[in-house]
Amino acid sequence: MNTKRSPLWKTAYILGLILLPVIAMLICLCIGRYFVSVPQVLSSIAARANGGEGVERLAYITVWNVRLPRLLLAFIVGAALSCAGLLFQSLFQNPLATPDTLGVAGGASFGAVLSILLGFSMIIMQLVSFTFGCVAVLLTMLAAKGKTTSMNTIVLSGIMMGSLFSALVSLVKFCADQEQQLPSITYWLMGSLQSATYTSLLIGLIPIAVSVVILFLLRWRLNLLLLSEEEAVSSGSNIKALRLLAILCATAATASSISMCGQIGWVGLIVPHMCRMMLGNDHRYLIPASISLGGTFLILVDTLARSATAAEIPISILTAIIGAPFFLFLMRKKGGWSL
Amino acid sequence: MILKVEHASFEYKRGKPLFSDVSMEIQSGEIVSILGPNGAGKTTLLRAIMGILSWKEGKSTLDGENIRDITPGKLWSKISYVPQSHGLSGSYTVLDSVLFGMTTQIGVFSTPNQEQIKKAESILERLQLSHLRDRKCNELSGGELQMTLIARAMASDPGIIILDEPESNLDFKNQIIVLDTLSQLSAEGVGVLFNTHYPEHALRRAHKSLLLSHGSVIMGPTKEIITEKNIADAFGVKAIVGQFETESNQIENVIPLALLDKDAESVEVTNENGSENEDALASISIICREFEESGKINQILHEFPDILFGRMGMPHRKRNVYLITVNLDGPKSRIEELAHRLSLLKDVSIKVTYAKEEQR
Repeated sequence: MNTKRSPLWKTAYILGLILLPVIAMLICLCIGRYFVSVPQVLSSIAARANGGEGVERLAYITVWNVRLPRLLLAFIVGAALSCAGLLFQSLFQNPLATPDTLGVAGGASFGAVLSILLGFSMIIMQLVSFTFGCVAVLLTMLAAKGKTTSMNTIVLSGIMMGSLFSALVSLVKFCADQEQQLPSITYWLMGSLQSATYTSLLIGLIPIAVSVVILFLLRWRLNLLLLSEEEAVSSGSNIKALRLLAILCATAATASSISMCGQIGWVGLIVPHMCRMMLGNDHRYLIPASISLGGTFLILVDTLARSATAAEIPISILTAIIGAPFFLFLMRKKGGWSL
Repeated sequence: MILKVEHASFEYKRGKPLFSDVSMEIQSGEIVSILGPNGAGKTTLLRAIMGILSWKEGKSTLDGENIRDITPGKLWSKISYVPQSHGLSGSYTVLDSVLFGMTTQIGVFSTPNQEQIKKAESILERLQLSHLRDRKCNELSGGELQMTLIARAMASDPGIIILDEPESNLDFKNQIIVLDTLSQLSAEGVGVLFNTHYPEHALRRAHKSLLLSHGSVIMGPTKEIITEKNIADAFGVKAIVGQFETESNQIENVIPLALLDKDAESVEVTNENGSENEDALASISIICREFEESGKINQILHEFPDILFGRMGMPHRKRNVYLITVNLDGPKSRIEELAHRLSLLKDVSIKVTYAKEEQR
């Protein structure tokens, strides 16, 4: 981006980022097997205070109990995964880094399938999954800690830890009852936003909100992650602490996302890259853009997943089918980008 | 501000010191150069001096305080580092890069405010980089990038700036731009420590120099360090150190001639001015284009009371110049050192005239 950002551009940018997910959500509240018109959606939302009086009951329930929690979940997870992916790419100065680079997805999946095997309730499963996701990253960091901790060592340790946990996931599948547990494990692993409830949303939202707010506040300082080691050190900021904080936030956000809806691939890779291609490498713009675009992207893809065919399509399949061509289109048009 | 290294040694591999017993110091307003052959560890030395690498023995101190005990925020607001420019991430704009230099002044959870942006812009203006403000660093030429890095280093108003080969890979013009900037910074009271591959740059700009050679380190006034013998010892190259005379000045120069025979037991370099320690009679004529500089000239002259036996100064108000003649009697090396110190001043022309040797 060579052009100086004018005040008008900035206003449009901020307004656009706020309006985009709101509009997407409003439209997607209408779409589904049972169509709700925009005025109905608006009046349902307005009628929340008096418990839905004066609004068609079916529309009210569809909006409030079925679609809204699911769309909120989509927004939160999309935003969290995009931020985490963005951060890991900057942290490792590697365009191939994803939210899963440090093995968090493997750990969280293992926690979840173990909970299914042991027959835990949904809420307990969410907590166990989150915990195992964090444990996996902790193990990665401990494994990488040595005489010389380079970013490459951490990435390699993360890949090892990821495959270790996916082996454990396979082990759990092997042990699972083939009639009931195995299908539900397999389905969970494909990722779905179907299980969204306000309770699970609230539990999952806490780590994500805390992480994303911290990252948003750090947005200028995160630019230091892309500098060379000695430039970063001589900037006078505590770069090690910054990296650790970034890893913590990205891990918490990812683990919490996966604990709510399983592994949703691609969002954390594609959305940050799209943002970089459009906005350059300044995290002051990238963090808000990743939140907004990541959330919007998942809202749209999930709506498509649940309404395109009679049976719901697993969302990971769609994120890739929609995301990959769009990404390639953008890359060819913009001529790629450099980290 | 004074940055000191006391009896320090450094090693990458246990028992194989890269250099040992390094002592050096740099003060505000001083330019110190570090010279040495490729692989001698010039960059390593800089990193160790700043504390990015740890000394095996000894320590670096800033105003008497061990660098290790100073918090990073405080340390890096007092000294700035300009790494070698190749291989740096270039995806930020020039203005953003300069703002990175102010990291210690910008709160962890804040973004740069208008005042800080204005300051960054004024630094760019000062270094005549304003037109590059919104260009990405990876679209700049080598010279522009180097100047951007210097601008970034200046952003925190440091007392000392440390640069790693700032004028390598640059053409003549850009070398002069960079070196002039360093001289300017020193004139404003900033200490400048830089690595260089060019002994003549050290001679023309640095008050003191440090030469790395086979693990040992010598430091002193540049004129005493950059001699034909020392260059032969350190680089294994026969070179001549001499002066060009121009209409207004005499310019120091080093010309490398040939490789020395590696097997030769000791290096023998014929030194034309072999009489360095003999007494000589000389006068230096100084023409100073700015009245302000005359204060600095006086300051330097006061450091040489042992050889100075007469001086005469006269302002020529019509043209705003100051003409000074000093008469000297003493060791030739002292006279040359004084001449060198004077030659480093901006807008000052000097010439040394030696008396003919007495007939014996």
